[in-house]
Amino acid sequence: MHEITCQKVPEAAFDSVRRVEGLEEIIANYAPYLADESRLPHQGADFLFFPNNEAELAAIMREMGKRGLTVTTAGARTGLVGGSVPAGGAVVAMDRFDKTLGIRFDEESGEWRVLAEAAVTLRDLNDWTNKKSFPGLTSRADEATLAQFEKFKEDPGSYFYPPDPTEMSASLGGTVATNASGAASYKYKATRNWIRRLRVMLASGEVLDIPRGKYFATDDLTFTVIDTAGNRTQLKLPTYIMPETKNTAGLFAAPGMDMIDLFIGSEGLFGVITEIEVALAQQHESVSVVQFLPSDEAALDFVIALREEAAIRPEFIEFYDVNALKLLRDRQVETPSFIDMPPIPEDAGAAIFYDIAFTGADPKPDYAWLREMTERCGASLDNSWAGYERRDLARFRHFRHALPETVNGIIGERKKTYPGLHKLGTDLAVPDGCLKDIWHFYRSKLDGAGLEYVVFGHIANNHVHINLLPRDMDDLAKGLAMYVEFAKKAIEMHGTVSAEHGIGKMKKKFLPVMFTPQHLEEMKAVKLALDPAAMFNPGDILDMETNREGAAQ
Amino acid sequence: MRVLVCVKQVPEVTNVQVNPETGTLNRDGVASILNPFCEYAMDLALDLKATNEDVEIVVLTMGPPQARMALMRCLEMGADRAILVTDRKFAGADTWATALTIAKMVEKLDGVDLVLVGKHAIDGDTAQVGPMLAEIMNIPQITYAVGLELDGRRIRVRRENEGGYETVQMRLPGLVSVNKGAATRKVCSFQEILEARGKEILTMTGDDLDLDDSELGLQGSLTQVVKVFPPTVKEPGRVLDGGNAPMAAKEVAALLHEKHFV
Repeated sequence: MHEITCQKVPEAAFDSVRRVEGLEEIIANYAPYLADESRLPHQGADFLFFPNNEAELAAIMREMGKRGLTVTTAGARTGLVGGSVPAGGAVVAMDRFDKTLGIRFDEESGEWRVLAEAAVTLRDLNDWTNKKSFPGLTSRADEATLAQFEKFKEDPGSYFYPPDPTEMSASLGGTVATNASGAASYKYKATRNWIRRLRVMLASGEVLDIPRGKYFATDDLTFTVIDTAGNRTQLKLPTYIMPETKNTAGLFAAPGMDMIDLFIGSEGLFGVITEIEVALAQQHESVSVVQFLPSDEAALDFVIALREEAAIRPEFIEFYDVNALKLLRDRQVETPSFIDMPPIPEDAGAAIFYDIAFTGADPKPDYAWLREMTERCGASLDNSWAGYERRDLARFRHFRHALPETVNGIIGERKKTYPGLHKLGTDLAVPDGCLKDIWHFYRSKLDGAGLEYVVFGHIANNHVHINLLPRDMDDLAKGLAMYVEFAKKAIEMHGTVSAEHGIGKMKKKFLPVMFTPQHLEEMKAVKLALDPAAMFNPGDILDMETNREGAAQ
Repeated sequence: MRVLVCVKQVPEVTNVQVNPETGTLNRDGVASILNPFCEYAMDLALDLKATNEDVEIVVLTMGPPQARMALMRCLEMGADRAILVTDRKFAGADTWATALTIAKMVEKLDGVDLVLVGKHAIDGDTAQVGPMLAEIMNIPQITYAVGLELDGRRIRVRRENEGGYETVQMRLPGLVSVNKGAATRKVCSFQEILEARGKEILTMTGDDLDLDDSELGLQGSLTQVVKVFPPTVKEPGRVLDGGNAPMAAKEVAALLHEKHFV
């Protein structure tokens, strides 16, 4: 089917929607809603809304439409590219869309699926799934859902929701809007792979209910959307070829694609996601290992060997360069409680953090191959940290999060002296065969440049984050120029300028490195077909030319 | 010198909820772990071993077959060998029956110089088994230890008291119960985890002990848990919507008048 029809939702009175009016009041009492983890300065907002349900959301859409104001959607505001930082108009905070609505077993796919509202966080979803206890579900659910819930509780398996962008306070809606991925995407792929249905409110206040597997693009890349009055809008999808890496740059487009994929990763350009049905995966036993190695070259050899080991598929393989380890070690000395780990070895030149299948109760596990492989790379299993209990895995997860938090803290301090300063964190990825080439390119530019930097990230997907830590505005300018060079090189290798952070407001400048002017125009055409007045998320991804108040030019 | 560390596997209690109707623990999705205080006891045993080459660390637990994973954690940390004492006859044992069973088990070992136990287990919180064990074995004991130092056939113990710390010493054999120690929990290397699988875990049952069945488990228990219940939950406070400050202020004022606070 290539056509989808919108649904009407009951509309609440606009006056009944909880709101904060005026920038002064928002700054005084609700300032966090003007920012996200990017620390990008906001450009003001006239309203901050807290809708309770779709009916109130629809009332906001229609009123903002009448007033000609833009709408910026705010989820958990954990994004790194300023996607939810307002550029005028209204901010719609989705905080109250925080309920689980159902759970069911899908016979055809053999998977458990959870239906939840957009503001449910990844941490809560996984916690509730693990405990098989969803707050309030039994009082909201109908009999069929209750029966399914009972069946879920009786299922002896343990389940979880695999997308893990490290920041588990991220909301489901936000992670769908950005197609979040993170370390575990090496095994489980990005968020897109786990989304089974979406409800999206358009600027008209009408809703698209999109299950996966029902609405597909034509071979010549078109969809048709029919509103409740019967008006038909044809979308012509962009004609570019998607990169061979994990990617969040630009809209998803491919012949015959599922319509749901257009909305996943669209960064809220077309509407507001209200409900999401996700698939769960079964837990497996594993061991997390932080392997210390003598150098970054040894670490690259280790990664390539680990990926080539056919018998295993690590959930993730993460990289820390020598500067990242030093930064963490210094932080350990300064604030021992911040990182609940032993001191990082002084002689470590790099570290690889990975996990592989491991059964704690297995009396004779055979990992001779791993020992040999590690030794071939100049390292030893003795010089590693490992854990397989759930509390260990949580501890290791915290360790993984400690570095970006430390980097953000440093930049936050420096911003006090140079308010215009910000972190420069690359999000480039290249195909598998290019790992060593891109690393050598990075090093050739970084060595001797006089910039402070750390490198860490998802090396399994050839996707390390080079975090340049500018000390002043000169460093920032130098770093930006270097970033553009890195981006051009990644595209030369058929990679992407944004593998997981998205584009938002901060990485727009890199889109022309990856897409031609024609491709950018094709994306704008899709945006205007679904959001004709460019109401949603002004300034994100594309520079739309509109007369709406608050629309970034 | 042989150091025996007596340990217990417990549910990760931060995640356990009590069913208010049945008074039973809801263990769905709750992991079993080595009791943290037993882990601190292992830390002190390893400190001794690090400075005294002839120290052999034996760990012992009484519990269901799956309690071998608590022993495995000790072997990964550096214990030399382990003993699992498991039997359906032990089910329902209170602190007395547990201490008696362990004491009889210790008699089977060929001499123990020092017994280390955690201050208490985080599931039962009784802190009784260690002191009872010392009494049954008729050896001296020092409680709440945070540091140990061997001095020939004596051990110097840094212990926590209500006012701070004190150092006391006793002749061996003796028993030491261990309080919270190092801030950072030991992280094992993958090599240590793999090597632990090659170490000995000896399984023993009630038949291996010189005890009558009437002294084991529920039958041998002097006390019985009648009921488990969570503390009374206070009514939640009232939250006023601060979105409309003048309205909220009026509500607060009305409430204060209503309750005769003003």
